[in-house]
Amino acid sequence: METGLILSSAGGIAGAALAAPLLSGVINRTKAVFAGRRGQPLLQAYHDIIKLLGKGAVYSRTTTWVFRAGPVIQFSCAALALALLPMGSRPALLAFPGDFICLAGLLALMRFFLMTAALDTGSSFEGMGASREAAFSALAEPVFLLSLAVLARLTGALSLSGMASRLALHPAEGSGPVLALTALALFVVFLAENARVPVDDPNTHLELTMIHEVMALDHGGPDLAFIQYAAQLKLWIMGILVVNALGLGGRGGWACAGGMAALAVLIGIVESTMARLRLLRVPQLMIGAGALSLLALLLTLVRP
Amino acid sequence: MNGLPQPGLAALVLLPLAGCGLCWVLRAPKRILAVTWLASLLSALAAAPAVWACLHGRALQEAQGWLALDALSAFHLAVMYCVFILSSAYAQIYFNGGLSSGELSLAQIRQFASLWLGSLAALTLTLISNNLGMMWVGMEATTLLTAFLIIVRRSPDALEAMWKYLLICSVGIAFAFIGTLLVAASAKGLVQDPGQLLHWSRLMAAASGLNPKLLKAGFLFVLVGYGTKAGLAPMHSWLPDAHSQAPAPVSAIFSGCMLNAGLYCILRYGALCHALPQLADWSAGLLRLLGLLSISVAAVFILFQNDGKRLLAYSSVEHLGIIALGMGLGTPGIFAALFHTLNHALGKSVGFFCMGRLGQIYGTNDLRRLAGAARREPIWGNGLLLSLLAILGAAPSAVFLSEFLILKAAVEAHRAGVVAVFLAGTCIIFISASRRAIATAWGEPASPARLPGPRAGLAATLLVALPLALLFCLGVWMPGPFRGALERCAAVLNGSR
Amino acid sequence: MNAWSELILILVILTNLLLVGGNRLTGLIRFAAVQGLLAGLLPLLAHSQALTARLVFLAALAVALKGVAFPLLLGRALREADIRREVEPFVGSEFSIFVGISLLAFSFWLSEWLGIAQAGWLRLMLPVGFFTMMTGLFLIISRHKALTQVLGYLVMENGIFLLGVALVGEVPFIVELGVLLDAFVAVFVMGIAIHHINREFNHMDVHLMARLKE
Repeated sequence: METGLILSSAGGIAGAALAAPLLSGVINRTKAVFAGRRGQPLLQAYHDIIKLLGKGAVYSRTTTWVFRAGPVIQFSCAALALALLPMGSRPALLAFPGDFICLAGLLALMRFFLMTAALDTGSSFEGMGASREAAFSALAEPVFLLSLAVLARLTGALSLSGMASRLALHPAEGSGPVLALTALALFVVFLAENARVPVDDPNTHLELTMIHEVMALDHGGPDLAFIQYAAQLKLWIMGILVVNALGLGGRGGWACAGGMAALAVLIGIVESTMARLRLLRVPQLMIGAGALSLLALLLTLVRP
Repeated sequence: MNGLPQPGLAALVLLPLAGCGLCWVLRAPKRILAVTWLASLLSALAAAPAVWACLHGRALQEAQGWLALDALSAFHLAVMYCVFILSSAYAQIYFNGGLSSGELSLAQIRQFASLWLGSLAALTLTLISNNLGMMWVGMEATTLLTAFLIIVRRSPDALEAMWKYLLICSVGIAFAFIGTLLVAASAKGLVQDPGQLLHWSRLMAAASGLNPKLLKAGFLFVLVGYGTKAGLAPMHSWLPDAHSQAPAPVSAIFSGCMLNAGLYCILRYGALCHALPQLADWSAGLLRLLGLLSISVAAVFILFQNDGKRLLAYSSVEHLGIIALGMGLGTPGIFAALFHTLNHALGKSVGFFCMGRLGQIYGTNDLRRLAGAARREPIWGNGLLLSLLAILGAAPSAVFLSEFLILKAAVEAHRAGVVAVFLAGTCIIFISASRRAIATAWGEPASPARLPGPRAGLAATLLVALPLALLFCLGVWMPGPFRGALERCAAVLNGSR
Repeated sequence: MNAWSELILILVILTNLLLVGGNRLTGLIRFAAVQGLLAGLLPLLAHSQALTARLVFLAALAVALKGVAFPLLLGRALREADIRREVEPFVGSEFSIFVGISLLAFSFWLSEWLGIAQAGWLRLMLPVGFFTMMTGLFLIISRHKALTQVLGYLVMENGIFLLGVALVGEVPFIVELGVLLDAFVAVFVMGIAIHHINREFNHMDVHLMARLKE
């Protein structure tokens, strides 16, 4: 790869790393507007991270190295995954056939360490959160892979970068409905994996109903900053995938950024207008999303 | 066209409908019941010349080929009129008690009579339409109308039976429609005028050009769909309930006409399959399979059946299975199966007549409690015994002859499995049903009758004796013209091959 | 035109999946209504070259019956019978969705097997018709409540309508009218039947009607 291209891709990664926390700012602002509040500043997430990084960490005596390693590994996984992701019209820094499976693997590894770190504390709340996370992501992951497989089948490309550029520049004729279905399925996965509203409420203060937040309860200081930042990166990564599926991603930096902003506003709207589902209903939602992606797969298979 | 002054075929549908209208004008329940009989009789008389001509090898077509009569439909039409005339006559006797005791209101009798004549019209339409779509409309109308005949007398059980009947048969009718669509699609481009796409005679003439895959799929749907209406196992589950809960005359037309009409529709499609060499064996095999399945299922359920009407109902499943089996055994089988259609319709009607009346008199359909019925009620008791023996295939009856002919066809076709299952099934049914029938007629009385049975009059005697006499006559001697008519019917099904 | 029809067909698939997976009766009725509307509109798009008055009448009738009248009647029956409980299927809703997807795959296979090579989106219409028909059948088989079964029958009718348009769409005569008649009469009759059953049994569960068995 040429040096210029590498630099450009690296620039994309840097931009994403900088912009990721902004996404939660946009979401919170949208929710505030809906609720008629002024809301927190757009850059609140940056302040939080900086504040947390300046603090010291406290470790319980019952925890082991897993607890300490967890946040760092999560952050590294997210950063690595970022390198696999095409942003704007730039290809990813690391693009190879089958890299979408690698991406799913990195995200799974990240989740694994989040859960083991939570279990390591020995707290019953955190264990509960971890078990929920495991159950729901076990349902979300097949849907995720299936949706990416649909995109691969539709474009004939096996790398995320190839998919993004072909979806944006040479979309197969009449593939609109299939793409819409896939994007919808990916959006549901996106909500579930990032602990957004119909599955989990990021604003809840009741540990009993939490999924993601409860796993980070015993982390403090820089550890918590890493976990939060990794979660924001993950939100960004999966958001980019949704935007790419809609064919926006590959059209250039501004289209991509605009798509991300629109996505953030959409999440804000969803969170303002919907209530969290009962935990028992979540599998139904995931199976529904799975049905959508299966339907999309069937439709691509019968396409001549 | 043949010089005889004859009413058009459409009149056969309109006549019962006119009777239907008359029922809403009249105010005396007995007259309304009489109208049902008269209208049936008049329709039969109106149809007689055409039926006669067609049984002698003519074929009529009317209304640009929408309506037609050939030997096969004429034969089924004749059987239907026989059963309808007998059953409407019987209805006068059957509803008499309910009328004099005030159990039945005028509205109920009106409902019964108009639905009855409506069903006659719908069944006639099924049989005389040449267009497969119209045939389907007729079957659909039959389903709707007969559903309400079940609940002439409201009771929770009757409602349950009606609901089951409606739900299962409406799905069956929907399947039949899908089959019709598929067959229409298989004939695309073969018929110039798209309006005549579904004319059976056109399809038969162009049969070799039908798309085999679509026809195959269509026949499967039709078989399941109309098979539900014909009460073939495993789609028979509505049949025992509907038959046992409906008033006895209605049960008689169910068994004697409606089931046959369902099978008749299948036959029309079977003939199309038969005309294609690659589908002929396949469709015949399916008919044999369903036939044997029906016989076996009926045998199992009759084994432990003490309810008289349900026993008769399961026996209908058996006999429709036998007819379907015969239809799948080539020309000799088809001949025997058509003969069996007539025999079964006559015998089963008399069976339901006697059983219905005994059920009214004793207040139960439990055969064990009817023991000794022949001594108390000589006509109905002996009628039940004789009709049961006749439809079970006791030696001199025509049923024996037709079953024997089907067996012969199976042996000649070297189908040992068919022979074995058929013999085993009919033997089980013969033994278990005749044991009960004899005990019912001549056993020690178990319970006193609820009503002091009114003397069965001359009409009742004739109603029971005539069909039975006919059955036993046909069993020993088959007139030449009758044999010729049946052969011509079988020839219609063989079509071009 | 092409893209619109494809979109409608895919929406029909989605309504089927919703019907299979849903478990609130009011929601189911609404989905069936939407499906009826979509199915009724299709013949207009399918034969856009020859938009005759007859075709428009057919579509209007289909929309009025399947999309408006029946759902309203069913909704009324629902209110009068005062059942707001959930569907209580024999088969759970998660598994039902899997069944739905397998039925969809089977429909695609079946249409492929029949081998009527049709141009463009009509190729999608046949499998969607089969799928809708089988969805309705599955609802009839797998649900307890009489009302849900009637709904299933309505869905099955929608599927048959689609099949009719796909298979013999250029012959719009009695065949399609027959479907409408059937749908009209069947649901009408069943509606009356529900009232009877409701009155005489005080419930609408078919599985409680098990007295007439061996």
